[in-house]
Amino acid sequence: MLNALLEQSSLFLQQLVNGVTLGSIYALIAVGYTMVYGVIQLINFAHGEIYMLGAFLSFSLVSGFFGIGLPFALAVTIAVLVCALAGVLLDVVAYRPLRKAPRLAALITAIGMSIFLQNLALLIWGAQIKSFPREAVPAFLFAPALQFGDVVISWLQIVILSVAVILMVFLQLIVHYTKIGRAMRAIAQDQTAAALMGVNVNRVVSFTFALGSGLGGVAGILVGLYYNAVYPTMGYFAGIKAFAAAVLGGIGSIPGAILGGGILGLAEVFGGGYISSSYSDGIAYAVMILVILVKPTGLFGRLSRDKA
Amino acid sequence: MHLDDRLFSDKKLYLPLLAAVLVLPWLPMGTAGPYVIRIATLTLLYMVLAQGLNVVPGFTGLLDLGYVGFFGIGAYTAGLLTVHYQWSLWLVLPLAVLNGALWGVLRGAPTLRLSDDYFAIVTFGFSELIILVLKNELWLTRGPMGVPGIARPDLFGRVLDQPWQTYYLILFFLLLVLWVVVRIRSSRLGRAWFAIREDEIAAECVGVNVARYKIIAFALSAAIGALAGAFYARWFRFIHPDMFKFWESILILCLIVFGGMGSITGALIGALVLIPLTEILRIVLPAEFSSARYLIFGLLIVVMMRWRPAGLLPVERE
Repeated sequence: MLNALLEQSSLFLQQLVNGVTLGSIYALIAVGYTMVYGVIQLINFAHGEIYMLGAFLSFSLVSGFFGIGLPFALAVTIAVLVCALAGVLLDVVAYRPLRKAPRLAALITAIGMSIFLQNLALLIWGAQIKSFPREAVPAFLFAPALQFGDVVISWLQIVILSVAVILMVFLQLIVHYTKIGRAMRAIAQDQTAAALMGVNVNRVVSFTFALGSGLGGVAGILVGLYYNAVYPTMGYFAGIKAFAAAVLGGIGSIPGAILGGGILGLAEVFGGGYISSSYSDGIAYAVMILVILVKPTGLFGRLSRDKA
Repeated sequence: MHLDDRLFSDKKLYLPLLAAVLVLPWLPMGTAGPYVIRIATLTLLYMVLAQGLNVVPGFTGLLDLGYVGFFGIGAYTAGLLTVHYQWSLWLVLPLAVLNGALWGVLRGAPTLRLSDDYFAIVTFGFSELIILVLKNELWLTRGPMGVPGIARPDLFGRVLDQPWQTYYLILFFLLLVLWVVVRIRSSRLGRAWFAIREDEIAAECVGVNVARYKIIAFALSAAIGALAGAFYARWFRFIHPDMFKFWESILILCLIVFGGMGSITGALIGALVLIPLTEILRIVLPAEFSSARYLIFGLLIVVMMRWRPAGLLPVERE
């Protein structure tokens, strides 16, 4: 009886740990959706593909897929920088020419880019699931860091959580205490007015894409390590879930995206563990649809009616 | 006059086209014959699908990313009824169409007040949920095993087992659908949809019952999707949840984006160009590239939106 109870509670705690890990990853991706939406009111469907790119680039650089194997830290840094650059390019090439076009055109373009990038990855890396070679990744990441009874927290989980927390704090500091952060908030409020006050809108939008895509790239690397699996459609599923997290938190709100990511990660793990594992993916969709239908502003939304 | 109106009113234009389509199965094509007819049937099927999708984003201006869900609902309704009760196509098909329309209304009703991008997201989530249900409700759909052994279409008690017969069958459905959408487009209903597309608030102000007309559009679009699904189930004789994934919605969207959203002829041309192209790419490209052929569709969507946002055959907007 007592044993069963202990087993139950350790299962619960393990699920909690896994849920928090997953949630912090969703939060990292969701922030990218929410920032771009806040600034240019566009659902950047291709954001999930940037995340996938982060995972693939770090895998390729570490494992020598492109011919040379780099040290882990260097490979990860390059991957994140390339992701940030890819985000900026995505905006400049695909979205910027449509800034004045109907919103539907930009939305359709975003879907087109998402499909294009996903299939490009399929072409370059193939459909087969890739995993990081064990010897190229610092070994301590996979070792258990803390153990309480049956509950194991790995170093990787600690790293994921701390990276997420540090980056989020960093992001909040940028948005609230720097000049470019103020410019971002100004554009989010009123793009025309901000431009009239001398804000270089294109530069700030590029910066937003760089920041969001960099965080997405970090998330991709962390997930690639966590599940030890990198594949072209990984961005599709994670992207939808992170988008659902952003909607749940109130799209346009950074704290909302963080909270939404956390809630969704926990909901998915607990829903999968206690309700139905085959429908665990459906939780994100159901949450997303319900939030949009019932409270489109989400938990922290500041979406105005005309922007909705 | 816009090509859209000319094509369906000018006898000199549509009679030769119809004749060409009718004689296609009888052309001397040697051993390639069955294959060509198969691709032609597929192209006509996608023409039907494109017409159905066109009703929502093209006529009312709402981006539907979950259209393939209705294709799936139609296919599973028809497929399962056929497998369990051995009913005729002509009994199964109306039921599938009604079921599709019902789900179109059920999905559409809560979304009436949503803005364009939230509508897109809800429709997308809906089609993903449908796939999850198809995959997991084994008692109903057999899940990932799919539904094999669906009977061929039939007519007056005779089984249509020749490729040219199914080709004529889908051609009949296409003409039926075209007749409906062309008639509706120039009716009061069509004008109400265009008013909603151009400016929903203005339409509401001049007395257009926006909610009602949107619901009718959702029902019609879903019904056409389900019709295509019912035909597909009886033609392909095997259905599987993976056939109704998000990709399919995007492919169909690509057809109408290419031809020009809101243009009936455009949707036909989109399917006429892109569906055979996909099949050719499947053969021409080496195996490792052919799985990535959607790359072209992604790129095509981006390029069209950038340089020809109204498609190849833009619809005039006053």
